[in-house]
Amino acid sequence: MRQTLEGSQAIAKTVALCRPQVVAAYPITPQTHIVENISKLVADGALQCELVSVESEFSAASVVLGAAAAGARAYTASASQGILLMSEVLFNIAGLRIPLVLTCANRAVGAPLSIWNDQQDSMAVRDAGWIQLYCADNQEAVDTTVQAFRIAEQCELPVMVCVDGFTLTHTLEPIDVPDQDLVDQYLPPYHFARALQPRQPLSLGTLVAPDYYAEARHSHHQAMLHAKALIAQCDRQWQELSGRASGGLFEVHGASDARIGILALGSIVGTLLDAHAAHVQRDDVQIIKLRSLRPFPGAELAVALSGLSDLVVVERALSPGGGGIVGVEIRSAFHYHGVNVRVHNVAVGLGGRDVPLSTLDRILDLVAHGSAEEFQILDVQLDKLPPEDR
Amino acid sequence: MTESIINFYELRRKQPRFQGIDAGHRACLGCGEALAARLVLESTGPDVIVANATGCLEVFTTPWPESAWRVPWLHSLFENAAAVAAGIEAALKAQGRQSKVLAFGGDGATFDIGFQALSGMLERGHNVLYVCFDNEAYMNTGIQRSSSTPHAAATTTSPAGKQRMGKRHLKKDIVSIIAAHHIPYAATASVAFPSDLRKKVRRAMAIDGATFLQIHCPCPLGWGHESEESIAVARLAVQTGLFPMIELERGELTGAMPIREQKPVVDYLKPQARFRHLFADDARAREELEHLQALADHNIEIYKLLGSGVDALDSEGADTVRRGGNRWG
Amino acid sequence: MSDVKYTRGGCARPATSLQFHTGSWRVQRPVHRHGAAPCHVACPAGENPQAYLARIEEGDEQAAWRELVTINPLPAITGRVCPHFCESACNRATYDSAISIHGVERYLGDKALAHDWHYAVPARAVGAARVAIVGAGPAGLAAAYHLTLLGYQAVMFEANPEPGGTLRGAIPEYRLPRGVLQVEMQRVLDIGIEFRANTRLGRDVSLEELRQSHAAVFLGPGTQRARYWHVDGIVQRDLHQALDLLKAWNTVGKLSMPASVAVVGAGNTALDTARILRRAGVASVHLVAHKALPEQAASGDDVMPVHPREIAQALEEGVQIHPHRGIRRLLLRGERVVGVEMVHMKKLRGADGVYARVAFEGTETVLHVEQVIPAIGQTVDGVGFDALVADNGFVSVNAQGAVTAGYQGVFAGGDAIGKGGTVTRAIGDGRRAAAAIHGFLQGREWAASVLAPVTFAQLNVNYFEPAPRPEDPVLALKKRIGEKEVVGGIEQQAVLQEAQRCFSCGNCFACDNCWTLCPDTAVLKTQELAADGAHYVFDYDYCKGCGICAQECPCGFIAMEAEL
Repeated sequence: MRQTLEGSQAIAKTVALCRPQVVAAYPITPQTHIVENISKLVADGALQCELVSVESEFSAASVVLGAAAAGARAYTASASQGILLMSEVLFNIAGLRIPLVLTCANRAVGAPLSIWNDQQDSMAVRDAGWIQLYCADNQEAVDTTVQAFRIAEQCELPVMVCVDGFTLTHTLEPIDVPDQDLVDQYLPPYHFARALQPRQPLSLGTLVAPDYYAEARHSHHQAMLHAKALIAQCDRQWQELSGRASGGLFEVHGASDARIGILALGSIVGTLLDAHAAHVQRDDVQIIKLRSLRPFPGAELAVALSGLSDLVVVERALSPGGGGIVGVEIRSAFHYHGVNVRVHNVAVGLGGRDVPLSTLDRILDLVAHGSAEEFQILDVQLDKLPPEDR
Repeated sequence: MTESIINFYELRRKQPRFQGIDAGHRACLGCGEALAARLVLESTGPDVIVANATGCLEVFTTPWPESAWRVPWLHSLFENAAAVAAGIEAALKAQGRQSKVLAFGGDGATFDIGFQALSGMLERGHNVLYVCFDNEAYMNTGIQRSSSTPHAAATTTSPAGKQRMGKRHLKKDIVSIIAAHHIPYAATASVAFPSDLRKKVRRAMAIDGATFLQIHCPCPLGWGHESEESIAVARLAVQTGLFPMIELERGELTGAMPIREQKPVVDYLKPQARFRHLFADDARAREELEHLQALADHNIEIYKLLGSGVDALDSEGADTVRRGGNRWG
Repeated sequence: MSDVKYTRGGCARPATSLQFHTGSWRVQRPVHRHGAAPCHVACPAGENPQAYLARIEEGDEQAAWRELVTINPLPAITGRVCPHFCESACNRATYDSAISIHGVERYLGDKALAHDWHYAVPARAVGAARVAIVGAGPAGLAAAYHLTLLGYQAVMFEANPEPGGTLRGAIPEYRLPRGVLQVEMQRVLDIGIEFRANTRLGRDVSLEELRQSHAAVFLGPGTQRARYWHVDGIVQRDLHQALDLLKAWNTVGKLSMPASVAVVGAGNTALDTARILRRAGVASVHLVAHKALPEQAASGDDVMPVHPREIAQALEEGVQIHPHRGIRRLLLRGERVVGVEMVHMKKLRGADGVYARVAFEGTETVLHVEQVIPAIGQTVDGVGFDALVADNGFVSVNAQGAVTAGYQGVFAGGDAIGKGGTVTRAIGDGRRAAAAIHGFLQGREWAASVLAPVTFAQLNVNYFEPAPRPEDPVLALKKRIGEKEVVGGIEQQAVLQEAQRCFSCGNCFACDNCWTLCPDTAVLKTQELAADGAHYVFDYDYCKGCGICAQECPCGFIAMEAEL
C-alpha cells in the first residue's frame, strides 16, 4: 500500500511486518524515530514483541545478541556515536555468527559534534564482519529491511542496513509498505540452529587457540563472500513478489558504452541520478549505486566497469591521513583484476552539508580538466580555515 | 565394586546431582570459582541458560572444540553479561519459554567494567540471576587489582613496596549498591559454606525478577595460598568478619550469618602471600593489620554478626556434616 | 543438533571437556586411607565403638548390637564395669567431651537383654573339634563364645557351681546387678557351650586329660591366690583379704568389721572394698593408694586404674582416699593393729632407666585404724598346672596367647596372664586366644593387627557442632544403700545423639564433603560401597591433586600421596 511516510516511520512499520520478537534500543542523540515508532506499535498492540529500553547502545547490541542467540528474531537501530559505542559488540555478534538486523541511520561522528548525516559511523565498523547494505532512498530502506532478515538468517551473519540519517530517515516520501501476507510469504519464521536451549546445551563463544583462529576467520570471510550470491538472490526473490528490486550488490544506471562512471553509496545516488536526468543528460556518464559494501563486490565491479575510462568514487566519509575508503578498495580491485580505469575519489556532504544537484557538474568538471587529486573533499571551503590549517 | 571394574563414565552419568560443569576443565588446582559455579548449577538444575562474562571461568571451561558445560551457555564479552542475559530473557519471554537465565561474571566484570550493564539489567527487572564469582582481582589477566580487591592486598598493579602497602583503597561494597536497586533479592555467599550457598541460589531461583549473588571464591594463584587451603581460607574470611554473609531483600537487610566465634583477621591473612608484607616488622604493616581488623569489626558491628550461643546456621554450624551426606538436599 | 555448524562462532558440544584428562597435571593423588579409630585401638577387648555408633546413627540398634557382639558377647556387663579406655582415647575429648561409649554399650547390652536378642551362631558341623576352657570368667566365656562362632564345640570347666569368676566374686552388685550378670552369661552358654560346673582343674580333672580329650585347651583360671602381704615381715593377726571380703559381701550381704579400716591398693578391688565397707557400716574407711588420682595426674604418672566416676562416687560415699601414699609401718598393740604409718610415695625413673617407687623421708604420718586390708592384687593358684606358672605368679604366654612353657595347644588369658586385670582385657584375651586356637588347629599362625590411631590433627573439626555428652544418672547419695545399682544408663535419645557426635575417625561416613568440594568433579559418589569401604571413588583421569578433599575430610580418611 502506497503511503506518504517519514523514512523512520516506514522502516519501523517494515520492521514490525518482519515480526521481530525482541527489539532493543537506546535513545542517544542522534537517534531516529525508528525505535520510537516501534515502541508505539508495541504500545498500541500492533506488534507483539519484547521491547528492551536499555541504558546504552552497548547494551542494546548485547541484548539483541543474547536474544538472537536464544532463538528470537531481534532488531536494533543506532547511529554515529552509538554505533561506535557498540562496536565491540558488533564484532562479537559477527564473530559468533549470529543473525541480526540493525538499521544504521548514518550520521557523522564527533568531535566536533555533529548530529547530521554522513557515513563515517558505518564505515568505521566496516571490518566488524557485518553485511552492510546501503539504501539510496526510503523505498529501498523498506525493501532492504525485509531482505536483510532473510539474508541474515540464511547465512548466519548480521546485516547492517545503512540509511542516511536525516536525508532519508527524516524525509517524507510516498512509499510502498508491503502487506503482511507478502512479508510472511517471503520471510520464514526464524530458526537458529545453535539456539540456546536446555535440550540442546551448546556452548557458544568459546576460547579459540591460535591453532584454529585463522580457520575461524577464514570461514567468516568465506561466509561473507558466499553471501554475495545470496544478497543478489534475495533481492530478485523480493522483486518477484513485490515487483521492486533494490539493486542486488550494485546497480549501474546509464548507457552501457559510457566512458565516465560515478559510483556512490546511499542517498547521494538519488541526487546524482536526479542531476543527471534533469541537467546533465550526458550519454557518456553512468551512475553506479554500490549497495553492498560488505561483502565487497570487487571482481563484479571490475567486470561491469571495465569499459570506462574514468570512475569517480563519491563518498560521505574519509579516513584521515589515508583519504577515501571505498575509493581505495575499488582502485585495489581494479588493479588486481587488470582493469585500466582512472579512479578519482572525492568526499561530499560531510556532517550533513547539503549535496546540491550541481555536485554532478563539479565532478564532471574534475574529470574533464584532469584536475582530480588522489582524494579530496569536494565541497570544502578552504577560506574558512586559517592558512596553516588548509 | 572394585576400582578396576568401575565404569567411571557410567558412574559419572549416574551421579545423584546435576553437574552443570563437568570434569576436564582447565581451572588451576583448588580453584574456588570452578567449585562455586558447579555448586550454583547443582541448585539451579539443567533448565537454565547461562550468559558468561569474559574471565577465568569462561576461559578454563571452553577451550574450543571442548566445553565443560552441560547447560546452554554463551560467552560474549567482558562487560556485557548482564545485557546479554537480559536479551536472552527477553527472547524467552517472547517465545513463551520458561527457563531461568543466569549471568556469570567475575569481580572485574561485575564491580568494574560490566557494572553499567548490570545496573541497567537490575533496573529493568529482568528475570535473571546474576552471580558474581568474587576472587578479588583480575586473575585471568595476571592478578591486577579490581575495585573488589581488599584493602592492603598486593596485586601486580597494587604491589607492596617502599611506598605502598598493597592496595590503597577499600573493597567496593557491591552488594549494598546492588541492593539499592531495590531488587527482590541480593545476597553474599562463600564456597566454604556450600549449604548456605545452595540455599541462596534456590531462594533466588524461586523469584521472578532480578536477583544477585556474590560468591567469595578463593584463587590459590592470586591469593598465594596452597591449593588445598581454598575452603579453609574462605571459611576464615567469613569467620573473621571480613566477608559478611548477608541477604538483602528490596534493599533491606533480612538475613546475616552470625559468627559464633570471631577469629582474628591475622588467621585469615597469614596463609595468603598477597598479605605477606603485612607481617613484616614495620610500623605501617602493623597499622594496616589493625586497619583490617577494624574493617572486620566494623562489618560485625553494622551487620550485627556476633551471634550468641549455638545457632545451627551460624558460621560454625552451617555446614555440619552427618553420616550419609545429602545434607544439602 | 544435526544442523548445527560447530565451526561457527566457537560452538562446542556439552561436557566435551571430558576428552581432556586433567589428571596428567597431578603430582600428588588423594587416596582413601583407613585409619584406626582411637577408641578401637584403645579397647582391650578389641571392640570397634565407631562401627556400632554408625549403625545406631543409621537407626538400626539391633545391627549395632550385632556389630558389638561380634567382638564382645557381654556388653551389658562391660558397659557397667569397664573403665573405658576407649573414652580416654576418644578424639572428641579434645574438641568438647568424649563420646559416652560406655553409655551406648550398656544401652545396647540392656536393650538386647530386654528384647531377648540372640547371637548369630552358625550351625556347627557334626564332629566339630572340641576345645576345653578352664574357668568361666570373662576370659573363658569370651573364648568359648568365639570358638563356638568359629564352629568348635566349646567345653567349659568351672570349679564353682555357677559361671562368672571375677564378675560374680569381685564386683559388687551396686556396680553390676546380678540379674544382668546372670542373663547375659546364660545367653553365652546357651549358644551350645557345654558347661561342667564344680569341676576343678587339678582336683576333678587333670590338664593332661583335657589335652588328650580336646583339640586345644584354654586356661582362664583367674587369680585366686592373694599376694603375700607384710610390712617388714610383720603380718597382723586378723588379716582379711579384700577379695574374700568382696566375695562374702556379694554372697552373704553383710560384714563384721571395726569402726575404722584402711584398705591398701589402687585398683578396682581396693576401691570396691572400701565402698562395701562403707555400705557395711564402717564409719571411717581409708584408701591408701600408691598411685595418683586421675584428675590430679601429671603426664607420665601412674594413675589408679579405675574409672574416675567410681572414685568420685567413693569420695561422695565418705571413703577417704590417700593418693601417692605407701604404708611404712604397722602400729601394733600386741598383734592387733591400732594404726599405720603412711609415707608419700611416687614412681620415678631411676638412673638405670627403670621405674621404681620412692618414699620421701620426712613425710610420714600416722593413720589410726583398727584394721588394714590389703588389696594389692592376686596371683594364679596353679594347682593342677603348676608347670605353667612362672616365678611372678602368672602364666606366661606369647603374643598369640599360647603358653610358653612348651605345652602345645594350651592357651591362656584373663587375669591369670598378669597383663592388667580388667574384665575388658580378659574378654579380649578370650577372643584373641580363640582366633589363635583356630589358627593353630588350621595349621597357620594368627597375628593380631596393630593399628596406629587417627590423631585429632588429622580430622577437620570445622564440620562438627559442639554438643554436650550425656551424663549417666547417678543414684542420690542417700539412696545408695545395699545392692542398689548406683549408676544408671542413658536414654535412647542420648544414645542417638552420641552416635551423631562420633567423628568417625579414619573412616568414611559418607558426609559428601569430598564429593561436594572437589572443584574438578573428580570425586564420584558410589551407590554401593567401593572396594575400600568408602562411598566415593576418585576419578584419577581428572583429579588434579589439589588436596581439598583431604584437607576438608572431617574424618581424616583421605591422604595425599606423592606421585612420580
